[in-house]
Amino acid sequence: MDQTDPDAPWLASAPPRQEGERDLNLLLRLVAVGDEHAFELLYRQLAPPAYGVIRRVLRDPAQSEEVTQEVLLEVWRTASRFDPAMGSAATWALSIAHRRAVDRVRAEVAAAGREQKMAWPDSGPKDEVADVVEASLDRERVQRCVGQLTEVQRQSITLAYYSGYTYRQVSAAVGVTLAAVKSRIRDGLLRMRDCLGVS
Amino acid sequence: MLWSRRSLHALAGVYALDALDEGAEQRRFIRHLRRCKACADEVRGFRNVAAALAFATAAEPPPALRNRVMAAVGHTRQLPPLTAPRRWRAWTLWSPPNVWLPRLAMVTAVAAIAAVVVLSIALSDARQQLASARAHSQAIAAVLAEPGILTVTGPVTTGGTTTVVLSADKRELVISTSGLAALPAGKAYQLWLIGPSSTQQTAVRSAGLLPPAVGGFTYPVTASGLVAGDKLGLTVEPAGGTNQPTTTPILLLNLPVKA
Repeated sequence: MDQTDPDAPWLASAPPRQEGERDLNLLLRLVAVGDEHAFELLYRQLAPPAYGVIRRVLRDPAQSEEVTQEVLLEVWRTASRFDPAMGSAATWALSIAHRRAVDRVRAEVAAAGREQKMAWPDSGPKDEVADVVEASLDRERVQRCVGQLTEVQRQSITLAYYSGYTYRQVSAAVGVTLAAVKSRIRDGLLRMRDCLGVS
Repeated sequence: MLWSRRSLHALAGVYALDALDEGAEQRRFIRHLRRCKACADEVRGFRNVAAALAFATAAEPPPALRNRVMAAVGHTRQLPPLTAPRRWRAWTLWSPPNVWLPRLAMVTAVAAIAAVVVLSIALSDARQQLASARAHSQAIAAVLAEPGILTVTGPVTTGGTTTVVLSADKRELVISTSGLAALPAGKAYQLWLIGPSSTQQTAVRSAGLLPPAVGGFTYPVTASGLVAGDKLGLTVEPAGGTNQPTTTPILLLNLPVKA
């Protein structure tokens, strides 16, 4: 199948979307029965987003590597518990990745807690761009949808997801009520969901 | 009560982004999720958005990480599957139980993004691989759905390894490889099922060609018609394949299938 537009060949055709998902789901099912090669293939697809988001949350490259390794081993170890009826393999694995990253941050904050209580939530968001694999389309697509959020929605979601703040910390950092943070995040995610789902 | 429930519901976004503080509120929300179909639905959709946000910030990890992970995989035991009907329990941490919603994963942003990443990582060559994986995916899924599947791995004498996932009941197998030596143009790797020599009829049968490798790996292919005593063989043949092997097998793997 020849693609006429080398920059965005897959935009035109719907089928690869589902196939991409099925492909990962299938690989994960092979992983579940101990297929290391399938795991390697899965690694190639999921390690960059996992490492990317972990690094975004943790910042420290060495620590990020360590947590990424833990996450990928967790995917290997618990692959049999994945059920495609509940969602995609990518979502499953990346949920584990994000969860592990914030767990790490929160454990450290709790440990450092007493003397540096204020330092962490006030450090503020930095919208730095990590060194990126595939600059391009996926990033642009998500950014386009992020661009459709209101500034306060974007800020709350960024702080919660990319900085790993709890919503109480978001509330403290932004200076609005918990109820406001809740609804900003939810409204923003609803808008993102529709934006990503439609196009 | 109504207010309280509504305010709980509003936590779906916070929960999906792992931004709910641990404690009473989190426990209440998780309990609520089990009863609230709309909330569960919403959380699932939000998790997909979150995964898309992860793809959007993807960064290539250092190559050494892959080696460490693969080495660790070699000595990390996998959990056995949970037995129904408690399956959903393992999911409650990241995703709510979904007993009311038997529908399959919807076409999501994640799927789209994942596909983009798949396609942009793999080059044009890989599109062929995906097509091939697609064609085989149903057959592979069928093998994997069988009870009592086994995994066998063996070294290839010219370098690389082969992994076989087999269903003894259905007499089918799924084969993937890594690290095989690159072949000159006009050659291909061909798989064979090699039976006990006494049974003429099932002596040596072609099990198909391996697809070209992507980044050192071949996507899984399936073969069927396995009989007791079969070994899996691999040879280098002319690109189109042959009826019988013309070179010495570089892999002979015992397949544990009882008569």
